[in-house]
Amino acid sequence: MSTVPPTPNVIRLPTPAPPPVVRTPASYEEHRGKGTPLVIDNGATTLRWGWATAGEPFTGPNVIAKYKERKHNKPVLLFGEGVDCESGARAQARTPWEGDVLLNFDALEHALDYAFVQLGIDTPAVEHPVLMTERLSSPLHSRALTSELMFELYSVPSLAYCVDSVMSFYHNNLPPPERQYTADGLVISFNTASTSVVPVLGGQSIMSHAQRIPWGASQASEYLLKLIQLKYPAFPTRVTTVQSSWMLQNLCEFATDYPALLRKLKDPLELRASERIVQFPFTVPVVEEKTEEELARIAEKRKEQGKKLQEMAARNRLERLAQKEVDLQALLNLKERRDKENKKEWMALLQEEGLENEAALDATIKKLDAELKKAKKKEAEDDESIAEDEPSFPLVDVPDADLDEEGLKEKKKQRLMKAGFEARARARREKEREREEREAEERMEDEERERDLTAWANKLRKEHEALINKMKGRARKKIELSDRKSAAAQARMKSIANLAADDRVPKKRRKAGGEDMFGADDADWAIYRQINTAAADSDEEDDLNQLHAIEQKLLAHDPNFTTEHTHASILSQRSALLSAFKPLYEEGDLEGRSRVHLNVERWRVPETWFSPSMAGVDSAGLGEVLQNVMARFSDGEKGKMVQNVFLAGSPSRLPGLQPRIHCTLRPILPPEMPLQVKPASDRSLDAWRGMADFAKTAELSKVSVTRGEYEEWGGERIKRWWGGNWNLATPI
Amino acid sequence: MPPKGSGKRKLGSTDGSATPQGPTLAEQYSYLHAPRPFKNPNYSKNVNRRARVLKNVLTQERERERLERDRRRQEKEEAMEVDEEAKDGVVEDDMPFYTSIEAPPSVLPQKRYCDITGLEAPYTEPATGLRYHDKSVYELIKGLSVSAAKDYLAARGVNPIVK
Repeated sequence: MSTVPPTPNVIRLPTPAPPPVVRTPASYEEHRGKGTPLVIDNGATTLRWGWATAGEPFTGPNVIAKYKERKHNKPVLLFGEGVDCESGARAQARTPWEGDVLLNFDALEHALDYAFVQLGIDTPAVEHPVLMTERLSSPLHSRALTSELMFELYSVPSLAYCVDSVMSFYHNNLPPPERQYTADGLVISFNTASTSVVPVLGGQSIMSHAQRIPWGASQASEYLLKLIQLKYPAFPTRVTTVQSSWMLQNLCEFATDYPALLRKLKDPLELRASERIVQFPFTVPVVEEKTEEELARIAEKRKEQGKKLQEMAARNRLERLAQKEVDLQALLNLKERRDKENKKEWMALLQEEGLENEAALDATIKKLDAELKKAKKKEAEDDESIAEDEPSFPLVDVPDADLDEEGLKEKKKQRLMKAGFEARARARREKEREREEREAEERMEDEERERDLTAWANKLRKEHEALINKMKGRARKKIELSDRKSAAAQARMKSIANLAADDRVPKKRRKAGGEDMFGADDADWAIYRQINTAAADSDEEDDLNQLHAIEQKLLAHDPNFTTEHTHASILSQRSALLSAFKPLYEEGDLEGRSRVHLNVERWRVPETWFSPSMAGVDSAGLGEVLQNVMARFSDGEKGKMVQNVFLAGSPSRLPGLQPRIHCTLRPILPPEMPLQVKPASDRSLDAWRGMADFAKTAELSKVSVTRGEYEEWGGERIKRWWGGNWNLATPI
Repeated sequence: MPPKGSGKRKLGSTDGSATPQGPTLAEQYSYLHAPRPFKNPNYSKNVNRRARVLKNVLTQERERERLERDRRRQEKEEAMEVDEEAKDGVVEDDMPFYTSIEAPPSVLPQKRYCDITGLEAPYTEPATGLRYHDKSVYELIKGLSVSAAKDYLAARGVNPIVK
């Protein structure tokens, strides 16, 4: 593994569990022919099943995957943890439950198949009475199909349904043997996709007064996932629901007093103290560290290449020069031959060279000559800058009358050249003057600074502030202008309207025959800068440059002015709160960037149980539901129930739930009523245990629906008893 | 060990003609070929029955609930007619159905929480509707893109309709 993380509360995500042991089915001998009741807790997350006489159930996540394995191209049917072993299987995973409703009977059939195979059943029918769970007031469709499966496919002799939370309550309040079950209490059941409250009086669970909130552990972990994705939009790896439910189960807790907690967490230090950091796996990019010698070698190579290129260029130039010389020589020869040969032949020769007449020949010769001379000069004085010596313009002074046409042209040319030369000289002198001025200024400033550091620093700082304020004001103005109703925007519209108005000229001037004198005064044009909202950039650039210059000076000389005071850092400053909420890491710190900091979310997510509207679910929270449920009972009954408030279900394992429920219930009850909140001893397995306890009694046969009754009534009708649903239940 | 009458109860479907790698993990877990004698071969799942969609199931529940309630009301009326005096005492509760059990919407006043940090949020940003905790969070919100702002709102359940 890797090194110890520097911060104390960094938690690594759990490594994927080792592949589960392949289960071999149990022996059936023990139960063959004995009719031991089968107890199946059909949960939305886990399936628990077993013989009623066994102490522990078999458990497995309630998922099925049926897919074709790629290696041997064989179809494969997997259940539970086996689905995790193959990623292809995970993609094909199906669960019988869709949220809170049993819908996928294919999957249920396969899950039950697995359960029975594991139990070792080999008879042509499942010859055991079955006790199964269903949801609180389960939809009749689900119940009908489950009954159909059990009776027709598996041929069970009898089937009974119960509600898991009530059985968990039963297990924790077992009556002494041979006594009636008459416990009272308020059962709060935390399930995967719902949370329900069931009142129990005298052993009877009052299903008609029960209520269900459509918010459970799966929705909470989805909410946590959404929050993490919002907080870390550019997170390097994908966060999955499995990981977020792990985080929910291990890092989140209920706050006893949520508003007080939020007020405490306002302080960034508290925020930091309460955070948990989850480190996600990351890959360190392989950086090939080139050693010193390698670097040197590469530099050498590059230099050599550069030199080679230079040499090649020089060679090319020489070649071209040589070529030009040859050409020049040829042309000169040609010119000499003119004297020797007669005109016609000479013209023919000229045409061969591509020249029209003698003048062209002369011009070409002159051009080549000039190029050659320039090139030679360049080579001779390669690195020196050519000092511009004073060229002479002799013809400028000669009056026009004395010159002929060509002379005039020459004169014009020379005049232009002279003007250019003089302008350049002037510019050079001005530049020098400016440089001297600037140097003088800087010298003065340095003297001032050396004389009195603080005063100089203060002066500069004031300028700095003024500039920053100006920029802020401009930014504010920009925002204001974008808002249609602001005063600035309306003023702008007024000026536009004014400019475009026909009767722009004031009356007095018109009488005196005046026209619109806009523009005579240069300041008038400034109004266009005001109107044009997009053109502020040049101003900003100037300001920024000025600001930068001042900052440089201050940074260099003023000990109190640090990089923190510069404009850039002020802009990018995040408040302490935000940095505590979501600390930023450097660009290259991949380990840091793969971390998720959970601070407020640790309490925010469980708070949704008490206020689902935080997450967009329009439903009453747990506190309100408790109030509603209890409002329908008399005070005496209330008193009996609240002495035994029972928390059932795996999600109730989140810490802090018990005190929270206590605090929620205490204010709505009369102060003298004793209130006690108890969790189940084993939140996940107690429901199954309660069912097993019940199945061992003789009562099971009384409340089950037998095969014959099923065939008569259909799958939806059940018998009404203290642990089962009431919808479509006939009293025994 | 295996009881009589049972075939090989191995969980895996190991290839008889052994491929050199042996059965993969998935095959070891697979119980596709495990004998399942307890299943009734005569039962043919109603092939025409399509897996019902959740929405339809819930609608059907609501229908049943309504029917049941009407029926009960009728019964009560008839019973009232028979005995002229009102029945005293036993008022049978309404039968609970899956949809009737659901908790009603909340009537308590909702606390406002910051969409970004989760702390208390006394302020709302007018342009996007996001709630925020203080100035610094406001600066952050101003810098959010439109889609990011919509995502935050969606987490709260507010889905602004885009025209």
